[in-house]
Amino acid sequence: MRHSEPMRRFVRADGPEKVTGSGRYTADLTLTGQLIAKFRYAEVSHGRITKLDVSAAREVAGVLAVLTQDDVPDLRYGDAVADRTLFARDVVRFEGEVIAAVAATSAQAAQAGIDAIIVEIDELPAITDVEEALTEQSPLVHEGWADYESGWGCERNRNVASFSSISKGDAAAAMNTADHVVSSRFVADGSHALPIEPRSVVAQWEGNKVTIWTSTQVPFKARDGVCETLGLPSNRVRVIVPHLGGGFGGKCGFHFEAHIAALSRAARRPVKLVFSREEEFLAPDRRREGIVFEVTSGVMDNGDIVARTGKVVVDNGAYTADAGFFPQMASMHLAGPYKVANVHIDAHLVYTNHQPSGSVRAPTAPQACWALESHTDELAAAIGMDPVDFRLRNCVDTGDEGVVGQTYDEIGLIECIEAATGAAGYGRTELAADEAIGVAVGWWPSFPGASGAYVKLEADGSGEIITGAQECGTGSVMTLRQLAADELGMDPEDFQIVYQDTAAGPYDAGATGSQTLLNNGRAVQNASRQIAGQLRQMAADRFEASPDDIVLGDGVAMVVGTPDRSVPIAELARSSMNTELLLGHGSSAPVDTPVLRNSTCVGDMGLSAWIGPQFSCHAVRVKVDRDTGVARVVSVHAAHDSGTIINPIAARGQIEGGVVMGIGQALSEGTQYDERGAQRNAALLEYKLQTAADIPPIHTKFVEVFTNDAGPNGAKGVAEAPNVATAAAIANAISKVVGAPVRQLPMTAERVWEHSVGNGEVAS
Amino acid sequence: MSEIYELRVNGVDYPVTADANRNLSGVLRDELGLTGTKEGCDDCECGACMVLLDGQPINSCSYLAAQAQGREISTVEGLMDRDEMHPLQTNILECGGVQCGFCTPGMLMSAHALLERTPEPSLEEIKVGLSGNLCRCTGYGTIFEAVAAASKVEKVEP
Ligand code: FES
Ligand code: FES
Repeated sequence: MRHSEPMRRFVRADGPEKVTGSGRYTADLTLTGQLIAKFRYAEVSHGRITKLDVSAAREVAGVLAVLTQDDVPDLRYGDAVADRTLFARDVVRFEGEVIAAVAATSAQAAQAGIDAIIVEIDELPAITDVEEALTEQSPLVHEGWADYESGWGCERNRNVASFSSISKGDAAAAMNTADHVVSSRFVADGSHALPIEPRSVVAQWEGNKVTIWTSTQVPFKARDGVCETLGLPSNRVRVIVPHLGGGFGGKCGFHFEAHIAALSRAARRPVKLVFSREEEFLAPDRRREGIVFEVTSGVMDNGDIVARTGKVVVDNGAYTADAGFFPQMASMHLAGPYKVANVHIDAHLVYTNHQPSGSVRAPTAPQACWALESHTDELAAAIGMDPVDFRLRNCVDTGDEGVVGQTYDEIGLIECIEAATGAAGYGRTELAADEAIGVAVGWWPSFPGASGAYVKLEADGSGEIITGAQECGTGSVMTLRQLAADELGMDPEDFQIVYQDTAAGPYDAGATGSQTLLNNGRAVQNASRQIAGQLRQMAADRFEASPDDIVLGDGVAMVVGTPDRSVPIAELARSSMNTELLLGHGSSAPVDTPVLRNSTCVGDMGLSAWIGPQFSCHAVRVKVDRDTGVARVVSVHAAHDSGTIINPIAARGQIEGGVVMGIGQALSEGTQYDERGAQRNAALLEYKLQTAADIPPIHTKFVEVFTNDAGPNGAKGVAEAPNVATAAAIANAISKVVGAPVRQLPMTAERVWEHSVGNGEVAS
Repeated sequence: MSEIYELRVNGVDYPVTADANRNLSGVLRDELGLTGTKEGCDDCECGACMVLLDGQPINSCSYLAAQAQGREISTVEGLMDRDEMHPLQTNILECGGVQCGFCTPGMLMSAHALLERTPEPSLEEIKVGLSGNLCRCTGYGTIFEAVAAASKVEKVEP
């Protein structure tokens, strides 16, 4: 597939406003008469509210509205499990839970209102150990769990909000036949999505309609959440997302839009909320989950993996948000992209009194990949095989059957391994004793879903794409211009994009699951094809030719092979004013999921069979100071099968950004809790993101394998996959240097040092 | 207590009426309408609020606006020369160094200060020069390339 050249040097359509400071983000908006909102938080991880009195707050000068759960419809919401209320009712279950909200004429007045609220809470023991919470003796996070509804049909029991298992063959029997059996245990801490823009919401009512500007990745989902919790029809709630300052999953889901809409309605004024960085750490229900993994594999002397069993315990936190599918996703990743005939993995999503977990960039996958790939190096060591040879022998390739009985179409995992290890000089490079190259493989599904777009050509020949899709920085919405241009024989620069407005564009799932290009891309292609058909017909009429003989290219419609019989598209667009307007609408047709054989999945959330699976291999060179435990990444070679790459600059940006996020997760990013379940490092200085000074050279190679069941022109998703294998590859490098895997994530200097000492590598 | 004073931003004098304890980023954004300067933390930790004060990069979230009186404040809004983008702006776009764009204004101001004092920075100098600006999207590499490319553009110009 040839792509229009301008996009090969892609300058994003939203670029000029982003580099000049004229682009508006939600916090940049100010409406006449706007009030400022503040929340009162639980501040304890678990407790019973014995007194909540807001009467004094209502008397504070400048305060125009104070709300608690008594002031909104009393219902529980949540897609996976309806376990949440807008404001805490009776019990608080994590420190960042909202108890009350105030809107006032200034931030100071709002804070005075918050301070005047009387809250008394009888603190209860915080349930913080996810494995203890799984036991029958554990106290319950939700006493009333059995009365909750689960829209996704989650398998639930006590503190388990969702259980899932995958099973194929007879793992126990096969394990008995193995020459070597290796068991490993790994514990990954939770972490944060941490977009640099703290979230902001502005709401304004006019009559019985409300407009909400919000920094969400999922405008339609945010709208639906407002409609559900405040009892409004969809067409009376309009959600607009100004420029979005990053999300990484942290801004998926429905968060605080309803609180601000309700405040605005009560105060009869526009209301604005802007989070502080600390609130951004503590209050959203989308942080990356902590997980405990146990995995056992049986291998033969020849290197074949014959059986794998595992147990996964995922920290759900206090409410389920969208984490209902995490057990199945984590199981798939603990099983891995391998040919294993006998598999049994049980996975539990368990309530605790931590901040709720939710989809952050490739949820569960980096942690599970880190555990599995560390374990894989242990398997290779057990039989004395090189870990890369071991992977080449066991990884799935085109036509192979994977862990749940899906037979893969054209895939490029083996090529990824060869590309990454080859470029990194794996096995060929002399390394100092304190350096090693670690290798890991990863995978990630593509998510098909409903998505729509309109395309129109104006009388002057300029085009507009009106899409429901959401841009979170990845550039995938920006890339839609290229798809329309390719269909219409125009230049991407000829198109403007209207997006991030639920009243303008058709439905789309949002900037989630790397799905934008996959699904909305098809919708834009379909809409553009309708206009292409109109243009061909108009040109055919003019030249008395068949529409099939009209080609669109370089801004003209031409009878094939006869340049003198051509007309500028702009001229056809002008004449469309006298005939039929050039309007197209498109929708992505759902794709059938692949058939599975020989396997069963309990608690199936539809994630066992993967459409357009993406594969990757990362080879990372790491230097470890064994005296201090400090590990430093020297270089990264990342090879990805993300199908056809439509926009190389944007795709490279996703790999590099994902790799750097992965380095952070590997070495420094992890939430630390105190014994009462409160976060101890809810500030950027303590949480430690990677800075410019930390960045190694990152080399990206795309293995472009064409897959039929993928998105436009064979494209798969690209934004989440690079996050998957990075921590794992770093772990395997560290393990080579210090002599054993570090079994906790992040692999901080302290933890690496302890392992180093534990292995007698360094005199203590 | 409100104070009345003047701030000079991007070569323009603005009258300001604001509490003495207001920070510079807040006054730039809320009083002067210059929202190009972003706020990611209010605690000197992210660099989204980076502006130049007499050419020196500072975190404007942690600087009292009143103390900037009589000094030259430069923000992202002043980077363009009439309708011409600054080479840093064109290069960061062409290199793919802008994704969500929230860190971009602060990055550009840090990079601008770096190129003013070090017209031909090494990669190490670029990394150090940008180490006060967090970016969660790009992984930084494309931004380094943009700064290097812009430094060459600035060099060939007289
Ligand atoms: S807002 Fe000033 S450093 Fe973050
Ligand atoms: S581009 Fe999003 S934080 Fe840098």
